Amino acid sequence: MGDLGQLVPKKIGAWRASAEDAVYNRQTLYDYMDGGAEVYLAFDFQRVFARKYAGPGGLELGLDIYDMGSPEEAFGIFSCDRADPAAGIGQESEYGFGLLRFRQGRYFVTITSGSEDEESGKAILEIGRIVAAVLGPPGPNPGLLALLPAKDLLPDRTSYFHGNISLNNRYFIASDNILGLDRTTDCAFAEYAPAPGGTGYLLLIRYPDAGRARAAHRSFLSSYLPEAGPDGLGRTENKKWAAASLQDTYLAIVFEAPTPDWAKEIRSSIPFPMK
Amino acid sequence: MNSLITRRHFLRDTAMAILGASWGFPQEKGANKKSRVILIRHREVLDADSKIDPDILQGMLDEAVMKLCETDSPGKAFQTLVHPGETVGIKTNVWSYLPTPAELEAAIKKRLIEAGVPETQIGLDDHNARTNPLFVKATSLINVRPLRTHYLAGISGCIKNYIMFAESQPAYHPDSCADLGSLFKLPIVQGKTRLNVLCALTPQFHGRGPHHFSRRYVWNYKGLIVGRDPVAVDTIGLRLIMAKRSEVLGLAQALPPVPKHIQLADTRHGIGTSDINSIELIKLGWDEGILV
Repeated sequence: MGDLGQLVPKKIGAWRASAEDAVYNRQTLYDYMDGGAEVYLAFDFQRVFARKYAGPGGLELGLDIYDMGSPEEAFGIFSCDRADPAAGIGQESEYGFGLLRFRQGRYFVTITSGSEDEESGKAILEIGRIVAAVLGPPGPNPGLLALLPAKDLLPDRTSYFHGNISLNNRYFIASDNILGLDRTTDCAFAEYAPAPGGTGYLLLIRYPDAGRARAAHRSFLSSYLPEAGPDGLGRTENKKWAAASLQDTYLAIVFEAPTPDWAKEIRSSIPFPMK
Repeated sequence: MNSLITRRHFLRDTAMAILGASWGFPQEKGANKKSRVILIRHREVLDADSKIDPDILQGMLDEAVMKLCETDSPGKAFQTLVHPGETVGIKTNVWSYLPTPAELEAAIKKRLIEAGVPETQIGLDDHNARTNPLFVKATSLINVRPLRTHYLAGISGCIKNYIMFAESQPAYHPDSCADLGSLFKLPIVQGKTRLNVLCALTPQFHGRGPHHFSRRYVWNYKGLIVGRDPVAVDTIGLRLIMAKRSEVLGLAQALPPVPKHIQLADTRHGIGTSDINSIELIKLGWDEGILV
């Protein structure tokens, strides 16, 4: 990580590093972002390299390069908060309104400007390309994503994470951690478009052992879907369907299914690994 | 009481959710006196460039505090809040992208001085409030900050604004900052808060990561939310944020994750009320796009 200070140019066009570089690890991340640190600590975050660039007219950019420990974790933090069009930078990226986010291998990068002016926007993209080039080769996506049924899937709306904080940032389910999520659980949250304008969601969780998966299944049914029948299906107040089912160490939950058949179909389409 | 809230609470009454229903659902309580909260807005407080008109803002603050204290002049109103000669700390917020406006700090300070508080005995601080000698000595506090979402606590409001009084801020982070309400029981704070002003001139209703600020997620609401009860003030602030999120991001994202600290400040720490039935919300001024 220390090399990044050398690898990333301190002068890029009219922009210059304007302060001492800083590096924060899991213990010191609070010094950098206080309450927001938990969002990163819910992943295998290792450290972040932070640099400020000053540009013409007092403009300022912030560059943060997060070492997330693995490409899968970098995908995770990137995937939990997507809203903008791709920028063609790094392995996967998005840019909008003065915020560039991208991932490359084990790294997740943000470059941001509070002013959102055109000059800063150009600099953000230029710096982004330069940074992406020094971060090494791309890496694989989380293997759990391969279990998501492909039909009607919206790939760029798929998220991967571990903890309850990430789930609630993505799709609020409950004020308490009723699914028993923590850093040892792997979760994929996927959006589907089963019909034009329609949506449905699949939350697929892999627990470290079958006992925890069973406990979470019971907890979910009692806390969220007490009216579910033997098939795990229940109709919610918005006239849509939710369903929960258990498969060894996996718990699959469908939210906002337009019909019970769709919920059943997507559930049965998950290619769970054979024991 | 089971405080578990699930998405289905919001699905149960879609109309209520669209209106930005409270995180704190009606609770079973005795007939306590209601917490009064003033929501005041003015169409002209911001110009086309979002620049604040300090005179209009002063007028908004004055009108809100007069209504809150049921007096007919701002001087009398502030005299019900503070005593001449005492030391007062104004706990502000300096987050660079969306700080407490200097015009609002000045408006408060002006009225405190008129109420007999010597200027030299008014502290104005954020990060160093815990050790600032004026705050250590203060017998009254004024709590003022902008309204915005927060990646961990759901919203940053008047309750969370006191995090700088904590010796260890991370100690308040577990479980979505569930116990922020306990900050109001710290010796430097307990029993001293006279006024809470949640600045909703340009609230931020969404964020993309811990540090993120973008103009696309703020809007010119041109309001102040004012009250003696920080929990009631934040409850109204949350309703506003939820209503805006529902309008812009859709009902599925109406709730910022996860503002449980507001309800728990009431039910666990007893520092105020989050029960919408126990809040007397008085709306003053411009009502176009009021949302709550």
